[in-house]
Amino acid sequence: MAAEHIIKSYDEELNRLNKMIVEMGGLAESQLAAAIDAVATRDSELAARVIEGDEQVDQLERDMDNLAIRLLALRQPMARDLREIVVALKIGSDLERICDYAANVAKRAIALAQSPPIQPVHALPRMSTLALRLVRDVIDSYVERDADKALAVWVGDEELDEMYANLFRVFLTYMMEDPRNIGACTHLLFMAKNIERIGDHATNIAENVFYLVHGTPLTQVRPKGDKSSLEVVAPDRASGPAGTA
Amino acid sequence: MDMERTPGANLAMARIGMPAATSREQPVSGTGAAPVAAALTVKVDIRDVSFYYGKSQALKNISLPLYDRRVTAFIGPSGCGKSTLLRILNRIYELYPNQTVGGEVLVDGQNILAPGLDLNVVRAKIGMVFQRPTPFPMSIYDNVTFGIRLYERLERSELDNRVESALRRAALWDEVKDKLRQSALGLSGGQQQRLCIARAIAVEPEILLLDEPASALDPLSTQRIEELIAELKSDYCIAIVTHNMQQAARSSDYTAFMYLGELIEFDETERIFTHPQKKRTEDYITGRFG
Repeated sequence: MAAEHIIKSYDEELNRLNKMIVEMGGLAESQLAAAIDAVATRDSELAARVIEGDEQVDQLERDMDNLAIRLLALRQPMARDLREIVVALKIGSDLERICDYAANVAKRAIALAQSPPIQPVHALPRMSTLALRLVRDVIDSYVERDADKALAVWVGDEELDEMYANLFRVFLTYMMEDPRNIGACTHLLFMAKNIERIGDHATNIAENVFYLVHGTPLTQVRPKGDKSSLEVVAPDRASGPAGTA
Repeated sequence: MDMERTPGANLAMARIGMPAATSREQPVSGTGAAPVAAALTVKVDIRDVSFYYGKSQALKNISLPLYDRRVTAFIGPSGCGKSTLLRILNRIYELYPNQTVGGEVLVDGQNILAPGLDLNVVRAKIGMVFQRPTPFPMSIYDNVTFGIRLYERLERSELDNRVESALRRAALWDEVKDKLRQSALGLSGGQQQRLCIARAIAVEPEILLLDEPASALDPLSTQRIEELIAELKSDYCIAIVTHNMQQAARSSDYTAFMYLGELIEFDETERIFTHPQKKRTEDYITGRFG
């Protein structure tokens, strides 16, 4: 942090804001980790705790919004102080969103645990581990005001996108192979999408950390690894007629 | 499957490279598609100006332009030299002994610090308004005509027109039109200050220097003055010294931050208050220990 303000309470409030973001970041990490754990271990109780825990994050976000608005109204912040507050507001809503997705994964974990285990569930943890690392790193980059670290997260999301695109195909294949997989695979597909979205929010946070540090926005085009939304999937036409020929 | 090649991480990192924005060049007049605001012209060119009160140096090699039809704000802690600089611009300092100045101040290309220049011509071009309203102990009408009578002989009706137009421009006409013969001292502080602005613009200057014009006024009067500055900007080159940073941020196009007699940073106001380049500027505007 830069030199102290002449008015001490201003520093105290900015520090409090900072701590709230870090606390939210910690919660986002633990919620995501627990949700993934609940999927892998088919632990519905753990999943329920994640869903319950979401309220705490929401409350923290409301408190943080109030503090930020108070600071804007009463301190008339300038330059870096202004960025601190605006960025905190934005990061807060990204973290809240990340926690929502974690809760969503947890909800589906409960549903998934009620059907028999299927093979592709093992593909999810690797993707989750990367998402968790991105979230962890981007929180670290915020704490350390390290724009380079934020940039690494920003770029690293491409790998998560690629993993999602691969999983998308894997799940589709399983569904086409055996319609009984459709229920479980749909849940898994949504979970993978949720985790992929978490990566996008991590990159949003990374952009905000970059702006916080440098005072200029990151304007480059981010590399995208997921083109699954453009994909057209149909039952394999080649194999059907070919078999009869 | 037709996988498009996505740029690798290293390439992306390389592209990011410089964080600094590159789109800050002044627009070149005539080439833009949209009819943008007229190109900037330098009205006052302050070149390497130094100033001494006796032996102590109050200004150290200050150089910056004041653009025509733009507002330039001077901010900085007390004693940083901003008022001194304003005093140089209309050569008020000459009224005092042992004060010496170095460098040049070019107004429309003419060095107003050059010896032998007619001071009255300089001052007719440059109007000044001070922190405390300084109405003369005479009628509102006479206050406005005071400056005009120094420079010009006008018919009565023409004089009336000039008074009305100056008071209208200073956003005071509606409040005083029925009591022009009453003493200016009966006006409120905010009205008195607008009267001083009317008096300054009645002589039809080209440059307005405002030295903390609103610091002794209540918030509403302050906003009227700021609104007035915004309107006057379309005709004048305006320099304003202020301790109120929000005021500088709100009402100026360019901001100069001064500290201990030096010009630390001069840039577009938006940039100074959102992303200053010098740490000292940032510390000052964010209220930190220097």
